[in-house]
Amino acid sequence: MRLSLLLMTFGGTLAQSSVVPSLAVVGVTPDLPLILTALLALRRGPEAACLVGFALGLLQDAAGGGLIGVQAATLALTGFAMGLLPGRIWVDHPLVQVPGLVLLTVAEGLLRFGLLQLFHFPAALGDLLMHVILPQALYNGFLASAFLLAVEAAHALRRWQPWI
Amino acid sequence: MRFGRYSLLIAVLLTSLLLLTVQTRGVGPTRAGDLVALALTPVQNLLTKVHRGALSVWTAYADWKAVRAENLSLHAENERLRIEALQARETDQENRRLRRLATLRERLPLTTLGGEIIGREGGGWARSLTVNRGRADGVAQQMPVIVPDGLVGRVVQVRAGASVVQLLTDPTSTVGAVVQRTRTAGLVEGEPGGGLRFKFMARDGAGVAAGDLIVTSGLGTLFPKGIPVGRVTAIEDKGSALFHFAVLVPAVDFARVEEVLLLTGQASHDVASLFTPDG
Repeated sequence: MRLSLLLMTFGGTLAQSSVVPSLAVVGVTPDLPLILTALLALRRGPEAACLVGFALGLLQDAAGGGLIGVQAATLALTGFAMGLLPGRIWVDHPLVQVPGLVLLTVAEGLLRFGLLQLFHFPAALGDLLMHVILPQALYNGFLASAFLLAVEAAHALRRWQPWI
Repeated sequence: MRFGRYSLLIAVLLTSLLLLTVQTRGVGPTRAGDLVALALTPVQNLLTKVHRGALSVWTAYADWKAVRAENLSLHAENERLRIEALQARETDQENRRLRRLATLRERLPLTTLGGEIIGREGGGWARSLTVNRGRADGVAQQMPVIVPDGLVGRVVQVRAGASVVQLLTDPTSTVGAVVQRTRTAGLVEGEPGGGLRFKFMARDGAGVAAGDLIVTSGLGTLFPKGIPVGRVTAIEDKGSALFHFAVLVPAVDFARVEEVLLLTGQASHDVASLFTPDG
């Protein structure tokens, strides 16, 4: 389990910096570390999501060359909060998961903006929302829909042909 | 348990804030910042290297995919173009053949009927072609069949919608012929081996040489005079025999005949001049 979390952390970081840029649409890329943290939160609970989110964020900060600790804090907090949801609201249905991921991305963006404001980040919230946070949230939602459809198709195929 | 959960969150957040603070504060922070850098620089270096490696692998994969797709598309295009070229060549050849046939038909002073070959018999026992013209088209037995290169044979069977043409090379085929240059008369017969020979050439009819053209004699009522039959390739001299014969190569390549003219009328004069090598 620890090895899988470690692989997920490093694999996610590498994929975000290597494969994901080639998926850019009009300069917008999905936030893979956030998606991984959210998935982990739903499956493994708040602690694992908090730790992996922290590690993913730290590596993203280190790789990105910005302030080290910003994404570490926001992803840890987002993962933890997401991990608490399954017991409180129904998050198993795709109709909840996809819009949930969109909202989560927006929330994480706002959180990151708030944290950066403490350190006198110069950009305006409106610009960030228009050009970074909302497009990325929509892209994450689209990616999550595609992923869930693929999983559903794989399950259907397995039900139809059980030996697969 | 719950306290443990939140303490983990608080610890993580505090660590993050501490990291942020030491990076941005100016007091004693250089050392703290250095410490952060010291801890993270190797990781950053490693990540950069791995990232570059992964990126190059990804780029190579993407390039390979693009090249492969291009290769497949070029293969398909190449195949399509090759087929088109073959079709164009085939059409061109057919056009040429039909043009030659049409030219001959226009020049000939007798009525003709065009036909297409729909079947072939090439065994040693019988050599024939089946033409898609039959009784309904007015075809009759013994009708001569020609192409721009010369004589093909004669109709030996007439059916409702097709006719069987006996080739000159059929072992039972005989045609009255003359050597065009010397006017030496004889009979052209088919051979079981698929060749032709010019028989009953009297010994005093010497002067026939390899390369001479043999044409129909027009002595019977069957074939018009002057249709090329074959060309002499060798003289078979039996020494004491009264007659000797010439070995011929047919004027027509029977294996390649696809369209023919059936002569429905008769002509009394020599038509040899109409059969030029280029049609």
